[in-house]
Amino acid sequence: MTRRAGLAARAHPFTLFAVVAGVAALAFLVPAPAGPIALYALVASLALVTGNARAAGRAALVCLPLWVLLALLHGVGGGFDPRSITVSRAGLAAAAAQGARLGAVATASLVLFAAFDPSRFLDAVAARGWSFHAAYLVVATLQAAPRFRRRAAAILEAQRARGLRAGGGIAGRVRSLLPLTAPLVLGMLTEADERAMALEIRGLGARVPRTALDPPPDRAGDRIARWTTGGLVAAGIAWRVLA
Amino acid sequence: MSPRLLALVPSAVALNLAIGFVVNQLGLPLYLDTVGTVLASALAGPVAGVLTGIVSQTVRSLYEGFIWFPFVAVQVLIAILAGLAAMRGGFRSLPRSLGWGLLVGALAGALSAAISWFVFTGVTATGVTAVTLLLTHLGLTKPQAVTVSSLGTDLLDKTIVFLLAGAVLRALPERALGRYPWARRALCR
Repeated sequence: MTRRAGLAARAHPFTLFAVVAGVAALAFLVPAPAGPIALYALVASLALVTGNARAAGRAALVCLPLWVLLALLHGVGGGFDPRSITVSRAGLAAAAAQGARLGAVATASLVLFAAFDPSRFLDAVAARGWSFHAAYLVVATLQAAPRFRRRAAAILEAQRARGLRAGGGIAGRVRSLLPLTAPLVLGMLTEADERAMALEIRGLGARVPRTALDPPPDRAGDRIARWTTGGLVAAGIAWRVLA
Repeated sequence: MSPRLLALVPSAVALNLAIGFVVNQLGLPLYLDTVGTVLASALAGPVAGVLTGIVSQTVRSLYEGFIWFPFVAVQVLIAILAGLAAMRGGFRSLPRSLGWGLLVGALAGALSAAISWFVFTGVTATGVTAVTLLLTHLGLTKPQAVTVSSLGTDLLDKTIVFLLAGAVLRALPERALGRYPWARRALCR
Protein backbone atom coordinates (compact mmCIF):
# COMPACT_ATOMS: atom_id res chain seq x y z
CA MET A 1 0.00 0.00 0.00
CA THR A 2 1.48 3.34 -1.01
CA ARG A 3 1.62 6.22 1.44
CA ARG A 4 -0.91 8.90 0.51
CA ALA A 5 -0.16 12.60 0.64
CA GLY A 6 -2.30 15.30 2.25
CA LEU A 7 -3.41 16.42 5.69
CA ALA A 8 -5.98 13.62 6.10
CA ALA A 9 -3.40 10.94 5.22
CA ARG A 10 -0.88 12.38 7.74
CA ALA A 11 -3.45 12.44 10.54
CA HIS A 12 -3.52 9.65 13.11
CA PRO A 13 -5.96 6.92 11.91
CA PHE A 14 -8.11 7.28 15.05
CA THR A 15 -8.45 11.03 14.42
CA LEU A 16 -10.08 10.34 11.04
CA PHE A 17 -12.55 7.85 12.53
CA ALA A 18 -13.34 10.25 15.42
CA VAL A 19 -14.01 13.12 13.01
CA VAL A 20 -16.29 10.97 10.79
CA ALA A 21 -18.22 9.72 13.84
CA GLY A 22 -18.46 13.32 15.09
CA VAL A 23 -19.77 14.60 11.74
CA ALA A 24 -22.38 11.79 11.66
CA ALA A 25 -23.54 12.65 15.19
CA LEU A 26 -23.58 16.42 14.58
CA ALA A 27 -25.54 15.99 11.32
CA PHE A 28 -28.48 14.71 13.38
CA LEU A 29 -27.94 16.99 16.40
CA VAL A 30 -27.71 20.46 14.85
CA PRO A 31 -31.00 22.31 14.20
CA ALA A 32 -32.49 21.61 10.76
CA PRO A 33 -32.47 22.75 8.01
CA ALA A 34 -29.76 25.42 8.45
CA GLY A 35 -27.51 23.29 10.72
CA PRO A 36 -27.06 20.27 8.43
CA ILE A 37 -26.65 22.54 5.37
CA ALA A 38 -23.94 24.60 7.15
CA LEU A 39 -22.25 21.37 8.33
CA TYR A 40 -22.20 19.95 4.79
CA ALA A 41 -20.79 23.23 3.45
CA LEU A 42 -18.07 23.14 6.13
CA VAL A 43 -17.15 19.47 5.52
CA ALA A 44 -17.10 19.91 1.72
CA SER A 45 -14.96 23.08 2.03
CA LEU A 46 -12.52 21.29 4.36
CA ALA A 47 -12.32 18.38 1.89
CA LEU A 48 -11.50 20.80 -0.95
CA VAL A 49 -8.96 22.77 1.10
CA THR A 50 -7.15 19.60 2.25
CA GLY A 51 -6.80 18.29 -1.33
CA ASN A 52 -9.67 15.78 -1.26
CA ALA A 53 -11.77 17.25 -4.07
CA ARG A 54 -12.10 13.82 -5.70
CA ALA A 55 -13.60 12.29 -2.54
CA ALA A 56 -15.99 15.25 -2.19
CA GLY A 57 -17.04 14.82 -5.83
CA ARG A 58 -17.58 11.08 -5.37
CA ALA A 59 -19.70 11.75 -2.29
CA ALA A 60 -21.82 14.21 -4.28
CA LEU A 61 -22.30 11.56 -6.99
CA VAL A 62 -23.34 8.96 -4.37
CA CYS A 63 -25.84 11.44 -2.90
CA LEU A 64 -27.22 12.89 -6.14
CA PRO A 65 -29.96 10.25 -6.72
CA LEU A 66 -30.86 10.45 -3.02
CA TRP A 67 -31.24 14.25 -3.20
CA VAL A 68 -33.58 13.91 -6.19
CA LEU A 69 -35.64 11.19 -4.47
CA LEU A 70 -35.79 13.21 -1.21
CA ALA A 71 -37.11 16.25 -3.10
CA LEU A 72 -39.70 14.08 -4.91
CA LEU A 73 -40.85 12.20 -1.79
CA HIS A 74 -41.03 15.12 0.64
CA GLY A 75 -41.36 18.20 -1.57
CA VAL A 76 -43.73 17.09 -4.32
CA GLY A 77 -47.27 15.91 -3.60
CA GLY A 78 -50.35 14.97 -5.58
CA GLY A 79 -51.27 12.07 -7.85
CA PHE A 80 -50.25 11.04 -11.36
CA ASP A 81 -52.13 13.89 -13.05
CA PRO A 82 -49.60 16.73 -13.69
CA ARG A 83 -52.32 19.32 -12.82
CA SER A 84 -52.70 17.89 -9.30
CA ILE A 85 -48.97 18.19 -8.44
CA THR A 86 -48.20 20.44 -5.48
CA VAL A 87 -44.88 21.64 -4.08
CA SER A 88 -44.43 21.93 -0.31
CA ARG A 89 -41.87 24.43 1.06
CA ALA A 90 -41.72 22.63 4.42
CA GLY A 91 -41.23 19.33 2.61
CA LEU A 92 -38.43 20.77 0.47
CA ALA A 93 -36.77 22.15 3.62
CA ALA A 94 -36.95 18.71 5.26
CA ALA A 95 -35.53 17.15 2.09
CA ALA A 96 -32.69 19.71 2.02
CA ALA A 97 -31.85 18.99 5.68
CA GLN A 98 -31.78 15.22 5.15
CA GLY A 99 -29.85 15.61 1.88
CA ALA A 100 -27.25 17.79 3.63
CA ARG A 101 -26.92 15.24 6.46
CA LEU A 102 -26.24 12.47 3.95
CA GLY A 103 -23.84 14.71 2.01
CA ALA A 104 -21.83 15.65 5.12
CA VAL A 105 -21.52 12.03 6.31
CA ALA A 106 -20.70 10.68 2.83
CA THR A 107 -18.06 13.38 2.20
CA ALA A 108 -16.35 12.87 5.58
CA SER A 109 -16.30 9.09 5.25
CA LEU A 110 -15.04 9.07 1.65
CA VAL A 111 -12.22 11.45 2.63
CA LEU A 112 -11.41 8.94 5.38
CA PHE A 113 -11.39 6.06 2.86
CA ALA A 114 -9.14 8.01 0.47
CA ALA A 115 -6.66 8.57 3.32
CA PHE A 116 -7.05 5.16 4.97
CA ASP A 117 -3.86 3.10 5.15
CA PRO A 118 -4.58 -0.39 6.58
CA SER A 119 -1.01 -0.99 7.81
CA ARG A 120 -0.92 2.36 9.69
CA PHE A 121 -4.29 1.50 11.22
CA LEU A 122 -3.04 -1.92 12.41
CA ASP A 123 0.10 -0.31 13.86
CA ALA A 124 -2.01 2.32 15.65
CA VAL A 125 -4.23 -0.41 17.16
CA ALA A 126 -1.20 -2.46 18.26
CA ALA A 127 0.47 0.62 19.80
CA ARG A 128 -2.65 1.31 21.91
CA GLY A 129 -2.88 -2.34 22.98
CA TRP A 130 -6.45 -2.55 21.61
CA SER A 131 -8.03 -5.69 20.15
CA PHE A 132 -5.87 -6.70 17.22
CA HIS A 133 -8.53 -9.19 16.09
CA ALA A 134 -11.18 -6.55 15.34
CA ALA A 135 -8.72 -4.41 13.38
CA TYR A 136 -7.44 -7.49 11.55
CA LEU A 137 -10.99 -8.37 10.43
CA VAL A 138 -11.47 -4.98 8.73
CA VAL A 139 -8.00 -4.89 7.17
CA ALA A 140 -8.07 -8.53 5.94
CA THR A 141 -11.50 -7.88 4.40
CA LEU A 142 -10.28 -4.76 2.59
CA GLN A 143 -7.51 -6.89 1.10
CA ALA A 144 -9.80 -9.87 0.29
CA ALA A 145 -12.64 -7.87 -1.31
CA PRO A 146 -10.91 -6.95 -4.62
CA ARG A 147 -9.58 -10.54 -4.90
CA PHE A 148 -13.08 -12.01 -4.53
CA ARG A 149 -14.47 -9.53 -7.03
CA ARG A 150 -11.86 -10.57 -9.61
CA ARG A 151 -12.65 -14.23 -8.85
CA ALA A 152 -16.40 -13.58 -9.30
CA ALA A 153 -15.71 -11.95 -12.69
CA ALA A 154 -13.52 -14.93 -13.74
CA ILE A 155 -16.20 -17.46 -12.65
CA LEU A 156 -18.88 -15.52 -14.54
CA GLU A 157 -16.76 -15.59 -17.72
CA ALA A 158 -15.88 -19.28 -17.29
CA GLN A 159 -19.50 -20.33 -16.72
CA ARG A 160 -20.67 -18.27 -19.69
CA ALA A 161 -18.02 -19.99 -21.82
CA ARG A 162 -19.44 -23.35 -20.63
CA GLY A 163 -22.89 -22.35 -21.86
CA LEU A 164 -24.48 -20.69 -18.79
CA ARG A 165 -27.32 -18.45 -19.91
CA ALA A 166 -27.15 -15.49 -17.54
CA GLY A 167 -29.66 -13.37 -19.46
CA GLY A 168 -33.37 -13.60 -20.23
CA GLY A 169 -36.12 -13.32 -17.64
CA ILE A 170 -35.67 -12.76 -13.91
CA ALA A 171 -36.33 -16.45 -13.09
CA GLY A 172 -33.56 -17.55 -15.46
CA ARG A 173 -31.12 -15.03 -13.99
CA VAL A 174 -31.98 -16.14 -10.44
CA ARG A 175 -31.40 -19.79 -11.46
CA SER A 176 -27.95 -18.86 -12.81
CA LEU A 177 -26.95 -17.59 -9.35
CA LEU A 178 -26.20 -21.09 -7.99
CA PRO A 179 -23.53 -22.09 -10.56
CA LEU A 180 -21.92 -18.67 -9.97
CA THR A 181 -22.10 -18.72 -6.17
CA ALA A 182 -21.10 -22.33 -5.42
CA PRO A 183 -17.51 -21.98 -6.79
CA LEU A 184 -17.16 -18.69 -4.91
CA VAL A 185 -18.17 -20.38 -1.63
CA LEU A 186 -15.78 -23.29 -2.21
CA GLY A 187 -13.02 -20.74 -2.85
CA MET A 188 -14.06 -18.93 0.34
CA LEU A 189 -13.73 -22.10 2.42
CA THR A 190 -10.33 -23.01 0.89
CA GLU A 191 -9.04 -19.49 1.51
CA ALA A 192 -10.36 -19.54 5.09
CA ASP A 193 -8.51 -22.84 5.75
CA GLU A 194 -5.24 -21.49 4.37
CA ARG A 195 -5.57 -18.23 6.30
CA ALA A 196 -6.44 -20.05 9.55
CA MET A 197 -3.26 -22.10 9.24
CA ALA A 198 -1.17 -18.99 8.48
CA LEU A 199 -2.64 -17.15 11.48
CA GLU A 200 -2.00 -20.11 13.77
CA ILE A 201 1.64 -20.34 12.63
CA ARG A 202 2.14 -16.59 13.21
CA GLY A 203 0.98 -16.93 16.81
CA LEU A 204 -2.32 -15.09 16.58
CA GLY A 205 -3.68 -17.12 19.47
CA ALA A 206 -0.87 -15.85 21.75
CA ARG A 207 -2.13 -13.76 24.67
CA VAL A 208 0.90 -11.46 24.92
CA PRO A 209 0.64 -7.81 23.75
CA ARG A 210 1.78 -7.20 20.17
CA THR A 211 4.54 -4.71 19.34
CA ALA A 212 3.86 -2.11 16.66
CA LEU A 213 6.57 -1.97 13.99
CA ASP A 214 6.04 1.65 12.95
CA PRO A 215 3.29 3.27 15.06
CA PRO A 216 1.88 6.48 13.53
CA PRO A 217 2.66 9.59 15.61
CA ASP A 218 -0.20 10.97 17.71
CA ARG A 219 0.56 14.69 17.41
CA ALA A 220 -0.92 17.53 19.47
CA GLY A 221 -3.01 18.53 16.42
CA ASP A 222 -4.58 15.07 16.35
CA ARG A 223 -5.46 15.21 20.03
CA ILE A 224 -6.92 18.73 19.66
CA ALA A 225 -9.03 17.58 16.67
CA ARG A 226 -10.39 14.59 18.61
CA TRP A 227 -11.16 16.59 21.76
CA THR A 228 -12.76 19.40 19.73
CA THR A 229 -14.97 16.87 17.89
CA GLY A 230 -15.93 15.23 21.20
CA GLY A 231 -16.68 18.64 22.73
CA LEU A 232 -18.88 19.70 19.80
CA VAL A 233 -20.86 16.45 19.96
CA ALA A 234 -21.28 16.83 23.74
CA ALA A 235 -22.47 20.44 23.21
CA GLY A 236 -24.91 19.25 20.52
CA ILE A 237 -26.36 16.60 22.86
CA ALA A 238 -26.62 19.12 25.71
CA TRP A 239 -28.39 21.61 23.42
CA ARG A 240 -30.83 18.90 22.28
CA VAL A 241 -31.60 17.85 25.86
CA LEU A 242 -32.01 21.43 27.16
CA ALA A 243 -33.97 22.68 24.14
CA MET B 1 -11.41 -15.49 18.89
CA SER B 2 -10.16 -18.67 17.23
CA PRO B 3 -7.91 -18.42 14.13
CA ARG B 4 -10.52 -20.38 12.11
CA LEU B 5 -13.23 -17.84 12.95
CA LEU B 6 -10.84 -14.96 12.31
CA ALA B 7 -10.00 -16.49 8.91
CA LEU B 8 -13.61 -17.25 7.89
CA VAL B 9 -15.10 -13.81 8.57
CA PRO B 10 -13.04 -11.75 6.01
CA SER B 11 -13.78 -14.34 3.31
CA ALA B 12 -17.51 -14.30 4.13
CA VAL B 13 -17.55 -10.49 4.02
CA ALA B 14 -15.69 -10.53 0.69
CA LEU B 15 -18.35 -13.02 -0.53
CA ASN B 16 -21.12 -10.56 0.45
CA LEU B 17 -19.40 -7.87 -1.62
CA ALA B 18 -18.56 -10.19 -4.57
CA ILE B 19 -22.16 -11.40 -4.82
CA GLY B 20 -23.21 -7.76 -5.10
CA PHE B 21 -20.99 -7.62 -8.19
CA VAL B 22 -22.55 -10.83 -9.64
CA VAL B 23 -26.07 -9.47 -9.03
CA ASN B 24 -25.13 -6.25 -10.84
CA GLN B 25 -23.72 -8.19 -13.77
CA LEU B 26 -26.90 -10.29 -14.01
CA GLY B 27 -29.02 -7.13 -13.78
CA LEU B 28 -31.16 -8.52 -10.95
CA PRO B 29 -33.31 -6.07 -8.95
CA LEU B 30 -32.05 -7.58 -5.65
CA TYR B 31 -29.25 -6.99 -3.10
CA LEU B 32 -28.31 -10.55 -1.97
CA ASP B 33 -25.69 -8.80 0.19
CA THR B 34 -26.28 -11.15 3.15
CA VAL B 35 -25.39 -14.50 1.54
CA GLY B 36 -21.96 -14.45 3.25
CA THR B 37 -23.56 -13.49 6.58
CA VAL B 38 -26.08 -16.36 6.40
CA LEU B 39 -23.40 -18.84 5.32
CA ALA B 40 -21.04 -17.73 8.11
CA SER B 41 -23.84 -18.29 10.67
CA ALA B 42 -24.71 -21.68 9.16
CA LEU B 43 -21.07 -22.79 9.01
CA ALA B 44 -19.66 -21.46 12.27
CA GLY B 45 -22.57 -20.21 14.38
CA PRO B 46 -24.27 -16.85 14.98
CA VAL B 47 -21.12 -15.21 16.42
CA ALA B 48 -19.37 -15.67 13.05
CA GLY B 49 -22.49 -14.38 11.29
CA VAL B 50 -22.82 -11.31 13.52
CA LEU B 51 -19.13 -10.46 13.02
CA THR B 52 -19.52 -10.93 9.26
CA GLY B 53 -22.57 -8.66 9.23
CA ILE B 54 -20.89 -5.89 11.23
CA VAL B 55 -17.64 -6.00 9.23
CA SER B 56 -19.62 -6.17 5.93
CA GLN B 57 -21.52 -3.01 6.75
CA THR B 58 -18.35 -1.27 8.02
CA VAL B 59 -16.37 -2.09 4.87
CA ARG B 60 -19.25 -1.20 2.57
CA SER B 61 -19.53 2.10 4.45
CA LEU B 62 -15.83 2.75 3.82
CA TYR B 63 -16.41 2.29 0.07
CA GLU B 64 -19.75 4.13 -0.20
CA GLY B 65 -19.71 6.50 2.76
CA PHE B 66 -21.04 5.76 6.22
CA ILE B 67 -24.56 6.86 5.29
CA TRP B 68 -25.86 3.26 5.17
CA PHE B 69 -24.17 2.13 8.40
CA PRO B 70 -27.44 2.13 10.47
CA PHE B 71 -28.54 -0.92 8.42
CA VAL B 72 -25.92 -2.89 10.37
CA ALA B 73 -28.80 -3.77 12.73
CA VAL B 74 -30.49 -5.68 9.87
CA GLN B 75 -27.29 -7.65 9.21
CA VAL B 76 -27.04 -8.56 12.92
CA LEU B 77 -30.70 -9.66 13.04
CA ILE B 78 -30.25 -11.83 9.93
CA ALA B 79 -27.08 -13.42 11.37
CA ILE B 80 -28.85 -14.31 14.64
CA LEU B 81 -31.89 -15.75 12.82
CA ALA B 82 -29.65 -17.69 10.40
CA GLY B 83 -27.84 -19.16 13.43
CA LEU B 84 -31.21 -20.17 14.86
CA ALA B 85 -32.19 -21.68 11.50
CA ALA B 86 -28.91 -23.65 11.45
CA MET B 87 -29.56 -24.96 15.00
CA ARG B 88 -32.99 -26.22 13.88
CA GLY B 89 -31.87 -27.82 10.63
CA GLY B 90 -33.29 -24.95 8.59
CA PHE B 91 -31.08 -25.64 5.56
CA ARG B 92 -31.83 -29.39 5.33
CA SER B 93 -34.26 -29.10 2.42
CA LEU B 94 -35.63 -26.54 -0.02
CA PRO B 95 -39.02 -26.12 1.77
CA ARG B 96 -37.26 -25.52 5.11
CA SER B 97 -34.95 -22.91 3.56
CA LEU B 98 -37.99 -21.30 1.96
CA GLY B 99 -39.85 -21.14 5.29
CA TRP B 100 -36.91 -19.66 7.17
CA GLY B 101 -36.24 -17.24 4.30
CA LEU B 102 -39.81 -15.93 4.45
CA LEU B 103 -39.66 -15.55 8.24
CA VAL B 104 -36.29 -13.77 8.17
CA GLY B 105 -37.45 -11.62 5.23
CA ALA B 106 -40.53 -10.45 7.15
CA LEU B 107 -38.58 -9.60 10.33
CA ALA B 108 -35.66 -8.00 8.46
CA GLY B 109 -38.15 -6.03 6.34
CA ALA B 110 -39.89 -4.69 9.44
CA LEU B 111 -36.59 -3.57 10.99
CA SER B 112 -35.41 -2.17 7.68
CA ALA B 113 -38.65 -0.17 7.33
CA ALA B 114 -38.18 1.32 10.81
CA ILE B 115 -34.58 2.37 10.04
CA SER B 116 -35.59 3.70 6.59
CA TRP B 117 -38.31 5.88 8.11
CA PHE B 118 -36.75 7.08 11.37
CA VAL B 119 -33.15 7.61 10.16
CA PHE B 120 -33.51 8.20 6.41
CA THR B 121 -37.04 9.73 6.24
CA GLY B 122 -37.97 7.05 3.71
CA VAL B 123 -35.25 7.58 1.09
CA THR B 124 -32.71 4.73 0.83
CA ALA B 125 -31.79 2.60 -2.19
CA THR B 126 -33.06 3.94 -5.51
CA GLY B 127 -35.26 0.91 -6.40
CA VAL B 128 -36.98 0.70 -3.00
CA THR B 129 -37.53 4.46 -2.90
CA ALA B 130 -39.02 4.38 -6.41
CA VAL B 131 -41.58 1.82 -5.13
CA THR B 132 -42.23 4.04 -2.06
CA LEU B 133 -42.83 7.05 -4.35
CA LEU B 134 -45.22 5.04 -6.51
CA LEU B 135 -47.15 3.88 -3.44
CA THR B 136 -47.46 7.42 -2.03
CA HIS B 137 -48.86 8.58 -5.38
CA LEU B 138 -51.33 5.69 -5.19
CA GLY B 139 -52.63 7.12 -1.93
CA LEU B 140 -50.67 5.43 0.87
CA THR B 141 -49.18 7.60 3.62
CA LYS B 142 -45.37 7.88 3.62
CA PRO B 143 -44.82 5.53 6.63
CA GLN B 144 -47.21 2.97 5.07
CA ALA B 145 -45.46 3.20 1.70
CA VAL B 146 -41.99 2.81 3.29
CA THR B 147 -43.19 -0.24 5.27
CA VAL B 148 -44.79 -1.94 2.26
CA SER B 149 -41.80 -1.32 -0.05
CA SER B 150 -39.22 -2.44 2.57
CA LEU B 151 -41.21 -5.55 3.51
CA GLY B 152 -41.79 -6.47 -0.14
CA THR B 153 -38.16 -6.14 -1.20
CA ASP B 154 -36.76 -7.85 1.91
CA LEU B 155 -39.22 -10.76 1.71
CA LEU B 156 -38.09 -11.49 -1.85
CA ASP B 157 -34.40 -10.78 -1.22
CA LYS B 158 -33.96 -12.76 2.01
CA THR B 159 -36.00 -15.71 0.72
CA ILE B 160 -33.67 -15.99 -2.29
CA VAL B 161 -30.64 -15.58 0.03
CA PHE B 162 -31.81 -18.50 2.23
CA LEU B 163 -32.68 -20.67 -0.81
CA LEU B 164 -29.26 -19.94 -2.32
CA ALA B 165 -27.37 -20.52 0.96
CA GLY B 166 -29.28 -23.79 1.52
CA ALA B 167 -28.54 -25.02 -2.02
CA VAL B 168 -24.83 -24.15 -1.66
CA LEU B 169 -24.59 -25.85 1.76
CA ARG B 170 -26.27 -29.03 0.48
CA ALA B 171 -23.88 -29.05 -2.51
CA LEU B 172 -20.72 -28.77 -0.33
CA PRO B 173 -18.46 -31.85 -0.26
CA GLU B 174 -18.39 -33.89 2.97
CA ARG B 175 -14.73 -32.96 3.49
CA ALA B 176 -15.57 -29.26 3.61
CA LEU B 177 -18.56 -29.85 5.89
CA GLY B 178 -16.39 -31.94 8.25
CA ARG B 179 -14.56 -28.82 9.42
CA TYR B 180 -17.77 -27.00 10.35
CA PRO B 181 -19.94 -28.88 12.90
CA TRP B 182 -22.61 -26.14 12.70
CA ALA B 183 -23.08 -26.90 8.99
CA ARG B 184 -23.75 -30.59 9.76
CA ARG B 185 -26.39 -29.47 12.25
CA ALA B 186 -27.90 -27.04 9.72
CA LEU B 187 -28.26 -29.92 7.25
CA CYS B 188 -29.27 -32.50 9.93
CA ARG B 189 -26.38 -34.82 8.95
